[in-house]
Amino acid sequence: MPAIDRRLIQNFDWTLLGLVAILSCLGLVNLFSATHGGEGLSGEMRRQLMAFGLGTLVALVVTAVDYRHYERLALPVFAVALGLLVLTLLIAPVTRGSQSWLFGGRVQPAEVSKLALVLVLARYFQRNPPGDVTRLRDLVVPGAIIALPVGLIVAQRDMGVALLTLLIGSTYLPLVRIPWRAWAGVAALALAALAALWSFGLAPYQKERILAVVDPGRDPLASGYQVNQSRIAIGSGGLFGTGYMQGTQTQLRFLPTQHTDFAFSVVAEEWGFAGSCVVLGLYATLLFWGLVVARSSKDDFGALLAIGVVGCLFWPAVLNVAMVLGLAPVIGVPLPLFSYGGSAMVITLAAVGLLMNVSMRRYVF
Amino acid sequence: MIGEHRARLGGSDSTIADRIPVLAALIALIFAVFGVRLFQLQFIQTDDLRRRSERNYVRTLRLEAPRGDILDREGRTLATTRPAFAVQVIPNDLRHPDLTLDALSALIDRDAGELQTALGTPRGRARFQPVQLAADLSYDQRARLESHLYALTGVVTDVRPRRHYVEGELAAHLLGSIGEIQRAQLETRRFADYRSGEVIGQSGVESVMQSELRGRAGGRNLVVNVAGRVEGMLDEIEPVPGGTVTLTLDLDMQRAAEAAFLPEVLGEPSRMGAVVALDVRSGDVLAMVSKPSYDPNAFAGGIAAGTWRGLVEDEWRPLQNRVIAGNYPPGSTYKAFVAAAGLEEGLVDPARKVFCPGTFRLGRRTYRCWKKGGHGPVDMHRALVESCDVYFYQLGLELGIDRLAFFARGFGLGRSTKIPLPNEQAGLVPTSAWKERRFNEPWMLGETVSASIGQGFNLTTPLQLAVAYGAIANGGTLLRPRLVLRVVDPDGQVTDAPPPETLGSVPVAPEHLARVRNALEGVVQGPGGTGSRSRVPGVRVAGKSGTSQVVGLEHTEGLDDDEVQIRHRDHAWFVAYAPAEAPEVVVAALVEHGGSGGAAAAPVVQRVLAAYFGVPDAPPAGPPAGPPPPAEPEVPEESTSDDEATRVAEAPGADDAGD
Repeated sequence: MPAIDRRLIQNFDWTLLGLVAILSCLGLVNLFSATHGGEGLSGEMRRQLMAFGLGTLVALVVTAVDYRHYERLALPVFAVALGLLVLTLLIAPVTRGSQSWLFGGRVQPAEVSKLALVLVLARYFQRNPPGDVTRLRDLVVPGAIIALPVGLIVAQRDMGVALLTLLIGSTYLPLVRIPWRAWAGVAALALAALAALWSFGLAPYQKERILAVVDPGRDPLASGYQVNQSRIAIGSGGLFGTGYMQGTQTQLRFLPTQHTDFAFSVVAEEWGFAGSCVVLGLYATLLFWGLVVARSSKDDFGALLAIGVVGCLFWPAVLNVAMVLGLAPVIGVPLPLFSYGGSAMVITLAAVGLLMNVSMRRYVF
Repeated sequence: MIGEHRARLGGSDSTIADRIPVLAALIALIFAVFGVRLFQLQFIQTDDLRRRSERNYVRTLRLEAPRGDILDREGRTLATTRPAFAVQVIPNDLRHPDLTLDALSALIDRDAGELQTALGTPRGRARFQPVQLAADLSYDQRARLESHLYALTGVVTDVRPRRHYVEGELAAHLLGSIGEIQRAQLETRRFADYRSGEVIGQSGVESVMQSELRGRAGGRNLVVNVAGRVEGMLDEIEPVPGGTVTLTLDLDMQRAAEAAFLPEVLGEPSRMGAVVALDVRSGDVLAMVSKPSYDPNAFAGGIAAGTWRGLVEDEWRPLQNRVIAGNYPPGSTYKAFVAAAGLEEGLVDPARKVFCPGTFRLGRRTYRCWKKGGHGPVDMHRALVESCDVYFYQLGLELGIDRLAFFARGFGLGRSTKIPLPNEQAGLVPTSAWKERRFNEPWMLGETVSASIGQGFNLTTPLQLAVAYGAIANGGTLLRPRLVLRVVDPDGQVTDAPPPETLGSVPVAPEHLARVRNALEGVVQGPGGTGSRSRVPGVRVAGKSGTSQVVGLEHTEGLDDDEVQIRHRDHAWFVAYAPAEAPEVVVAALVEHGGSGGAAAAPVVQRVLAAYFGVPDAPPAGPPAGPPPPAEPEVPEESTSDDEATRVAEAPGADDAGD
């Protein structure tokens, strides 16, 4: 372990800490409104607070070790993550149609694999600079790296997390120098793959969910129900919201899975347009700040790690908010720091720790 | 190790750093889209979505308005609305359903199995909706239940307005009954602003005064959660009770009229028939009784199917208001109109006498007078007083059926009295043209003979007779029967006070009516009159008896009264007004299968008149002194010849009324 450098303190990234602290607090305050009822703190609230504490500890540990050591750790961590995914497939029980929980439902290995994927891809692109990637065939290896966890998660029937992992992996794509004609080929392939997925890979309920985005009135009591209720909650918030703990959609439980997937609807209902914009603005600022950290990092590995962390925060946030706003299908993607979920909370804070790590060491050699 | 990194100082010149603005632009674009979408939902569509959110959580509970009271003319309550206590359970809140139902069954005297059936097995959202187990608890049941309610989780009580007819069966047909609005009614313009499930007046005054009695329903906006469970109340609009309707009815007279149908001898069945009393100056309906009757309270909470079937299928038709819908041959009460017609047409010279030998021959056939030995020479006065059939056979033939019909219609027979009640029957006044049309046969003279004494095709409702005799009494004005004195809204404002209305005048000069009145007084007050049993001490009464044949003589010939089947016995009529010198009130009574009018119906009239004049404990029947009245059957004992069709009261011919 390197000695604590005084410059580490001097360069401590207060902006990042402040952004994450505010978002975390807002997330917890919002979760309280979404889950309260009965006496004292709800079980979800208590577990989320514990996950927040654990995540903070993990983030501290992640921050303490110079990120340059993580390059060596990347492959073992990735191997462990893949092992956990395989283990899950072998021993985890099937709950609600998917098989994604280990250790009595406390750990979701798919969440761990997202961060492991960032590490291993950062290591790969550090060794094979994306600026040198000019042909599609140069993407075979990173493609395979991404395909491993995604394939295992698909096998767990957890489509939301699989998609998320795929997208996090693809965060690095804009960095490569492949001509647009090649991208057209990729796009064609992707469309073909999507068509095949639609025909063979999706369960009827999943197709319904996708169609419900196009036309929420299709079947308002089944798949369209969630989208409809979410729209009602958001719209009835108006400009300034119904007030904290005053949202009827939330408090009277019309909003489905309001503490997990639809946590942002609670924000929108109770805090209105103003509150929603503040939360989205904080998110955007956090993401931009992540890019600033990437840009100012002293080496490619740091920059690649920072971009990976931005991907880890960006994709779930975007997918979740798009789903909540009725712009994307209902897929079980939680909003980082807002949705109830221990594994996601810990991994998100760990990712933030990684970003802090890169940020603090930008002037340290 | 660390040295192995390809560090790039001032990362801005690295290829990675070059691409970072692209990523930033992507992020900015997507968040801009989110901002636009939020603006769309929370600014442009917010009103619509807020309404939909309200539809989610606001349940409006309708608060029924208490129906207005119905009072008699002195302000005594006939129909009111009282709170009824119902027991409901919220299935989801029941901790021990079986134990709770057992306890309930003991507390409110209901069968536990019955309660279980009422509860059913609700699932899903229905588990949060109250299920009614019992309606209208008694005071004791309610007291017992409420003292145990704390231990019965999930059991709640509910208070609803319920119609209550204070006097039970009294004036049931007049007051009418209430019931849930029917689908066909909902489609009519009259009920345009009604909703399914609403309870409305379905007959009688309840129906006629529906809009006045209805009031305005209020509502309570409740907050419910996604499961439908009530979480609180937003606001409440109090219901406005309906207006109070004061009837022209006089409770004392109504009671007397109802009591008159009780059996005179204990153990005999109650008598059937109808009584109506009108004020001859205003047309006010002072009493209206139809028997057999029913208790309208049975309808108040939704009538049980069995009770309803029983009422509908009863062969004596308890739901029918005989006063307005019972068509009966008027019998000898008709003679007053024949006499008036004869006077008006100049056919009756008061001094002229007709000899009554007890029979009357027309062609091959012989018609009998009710008095076997005959009345001897009779003038008009005596013919009415003693109800001589032969005199009126003669007069009727001289008038002819069409002139008879003209006068009968002139007295309001054969057409509606325009009483504001539904289902009034018009009766039937036969004419030669009518018979031609109805049977495609020419009118027979023999039918005129029957018609002259109110038999044959003639059909009349008790109300028509009361209105017609009212016109004789008041000097010739046919009054439209009035039921409602006034309507007062909950603030005490009189919203309606219908004035008396007339239907026109009878086509008979006042002096001729006076002559008829004189004879009618003789019927009751004079010697040998058939109506002496309607006398009231201290009041001079004028009236006319009638007995209308129900079946042909072949069913009754040679039998004693007790041996004739009840359904074959004659109907008894009596119509009277009083005081004879300055008439105020007219009473028409019909006792179905009661036998002779003077004997069976006159005492009914007497009791109603006694109540009007406040004469206490009037002697049951007959004059205090003097000879007993002749107990005449009054039915013309026709020779039992061949082709004469027997006519039964309420025959289908009534459909052609209104001729």
